[in-house]
Amino acid sequence: MDTIIEVRNLTKRYRLGKDNFVDALRGASLEIGRGEMAAIMGPSGSGKSTMMHIAGCLDTPDAGQVWLSGRRVDGARGKELARIRGTEVGFIFQGFNLVPTLSAVENVALAAEYAGISRRDAAAKAREMLELVGLGDRMKHVPSELSGGQQQRVAIARALVNDPSIVMGDEPTGDLDTGTSAEIVDVMRTINRGRGTTFLIVTHNPEVAASCDRTIRMRDGVVEDAGVAVAEV
Amino acid sequence: MRVLRNVFRRKLRAFLTIFGITIGVLALVVMGAMAEKLQLLVDGGVEYYGDKVIVSGAGGVAGFNISPMSRSVIDDVEKVDGVTRASGAIGMLLDEDPSGVNMGIPASIEGVDFRSEGYETFETRIADGRQLEKGDRGKVVVGSDLVTKIEAEVGKDVTVRGKEFEVIGILEKTLTAPDMTVQMVLEDAQDILVGDLPAALRDQVDKRDIVTSVVVYLEDGKNPDKMATVIEGEIPDVDAMGPEGFKESVQEPLKIFNQIIYAIALVSLAVGGLSVINTMTMSVAERTREIGIRKAIGASNGAIMRQFIAESAVIGLLGGLLGLGLGYLIVMGANSAGAASATELFLITPRLAVGSGLFAVVLGVLSGIYPAWHAASLNPVQALRYE
Repeated sequence: MDTIIEVRNLTKRYRLGKDNFVDALRGASLEIGRGEMAAIMGPSGSGKSTMMHIAGCLDTPDAGQVWLSGRRVDGARGKELARIRGTEVGFIFQGFNLVPTLSAVENVALAAEYAGISRRDAAAKAREMLELVGLGDRMKHVPSELSGGQQQRVAIARALVNDPSIVMGDEPTGDLDTGTSAEIVDVMRTINRGRGTTFLIVTHNPEVAASCDRTIRMRDGVVEDAGVAVAEV
Repeated sequence: MRVLRNVFRRKLRAFLTIFGITIGVLALVVMGAMAEKLQLLVDGGVEYYGDKVIVSGAGGVAGFNISPMSRSVIDDVEKVDGVTRASGAIGMLLDEDPSGVNMGIPASIEGVDFRSEGYETFETRIADGRQLEKGDRGKVVVGSDLVTKIEAEVGKDVTVRGKEFEVIGILEKTLTAPDMTVQMVLEDAQDILVGDLPAALRDQVDKRDIVTSVVVYLEDGKNPDKMATVIEGEIPDVDAMGPEGFKESVQEPLKIFNQIIYAIALVSLAVGGLSVINTMTMSVAERTREIGIRKAIGASNGAIMRQFIAESAVIGLLGGLLGLGLGYLIVMGANSAGAASATELFLITPRLAVGSGLFAVVLGVLSGIYPAWHAASLNPVQALRYE
């Protein structure tokens, strides 16, 4: 299987104050294959979000290596990081995190515009993605006019708009009720199967993890159990 | 427009900030309009006085004298080496009893003897009717700023100093002294001037012999300031003033006046700029999470900076346009209120309008730089965690 992400011996220390550190990662290693839908579980402070942020080029490691689609990216900085985030990775967050003044279609198009696509083409692509997540009738609504589940669908559409190699979800169902949560997981599962998009999802929810191909367990800044990929049916 | 939506996310705050700029630009426009008006007035004077010498009776105030002389001075001056022509004139205030503070040039009467024809290069054009000609007794040509004040209309009579005159022409606006002048032939002006004298004196003077100033035209290449000294030396009891004299008495004080005016306007703009910095800094703080999202979905630092600077520039632009509009209304209102007494104090020139607008935008951009840089340099992970 083709590897999308490979991280090796990542360390990351956050300084909270003078002589007060948190070692979020202490030599974590992980591989994610193309087309996989993997969940990362672990207690709070186990480093799962930090791992995801570094793998997704939102943050940089203190030490260790990161390969994204076969390319070494742990040394990338500034503009290059922004470019990778824009085109090779899509993010979905817990708090939905849409821009409140922009409509659904504008929120999705924004990611395409940051990737250098013209406004008109970005809007067309955005509409296509919103249809894909089942929000074709809510395109002009601003986030405050959408339910939590609908907002998260917009966020998924936004994560997909630049055809990234991988979509990363940081507790994407954390703010949703059980029913809506299952719907969102279904949407991601459908996209994963239908388009072959790789998903890496940080979650506390065992049901969400159970819907994924494998579950990675982290504790104290290292990967405790990389899990076993469920064989493709 | 997305930028506008962001600016007006907090409507009250946006309006207050924009008004801060508006007030600054308003001050700049109104005070600048006053400075521009005075500047043009003085520029006209500098042009008029540039190549000639003005001779007046000793003791008068340079340029605005009322110290009469005998017409024989004209002949005396023309005998001076380097002088090509001398022309007598009578200048006096239009109002018998001038009251109130008057910025700029007071309304005046000018009696002319037509000896300057062919020598004078400072042209005044006619907007309506015709120019004054020799022998036009009982007729006047009226400067454009005085039309309302004395209710002048070509073909109709107006009252000047208690006498009826027929208006035969109205001058085009020159933006300098002639706008505030009623022109008449020398004889009519002499009648008025002598009529002002006490009865006892009136009979002792030969009124056809009186002039209050002599305009001296020089040979090409003659330095008018040096010639003024020569004339003062050769002819007793006169003051002669060249262009330097005019500059010293008018242009220099105006420069200082202008500097004060612009300094006041700039101070109020600086205050407006600080309020933009304040607003943008607050806006960045409130939108920390949004900045994190934007960065997470691929916005470069440059894109974030451009966004916030654009918002700040729009605040400046809106404030500038509003200030310019309000300033225009105030200036128009003040000018039309002043038209009755012929005190048009303000003039919005294109360079003032464009300059004030541009300045507001530049101020917006400059004020946005620090908050925008702060926004762009946020760490995306920390920004996303920000509540």
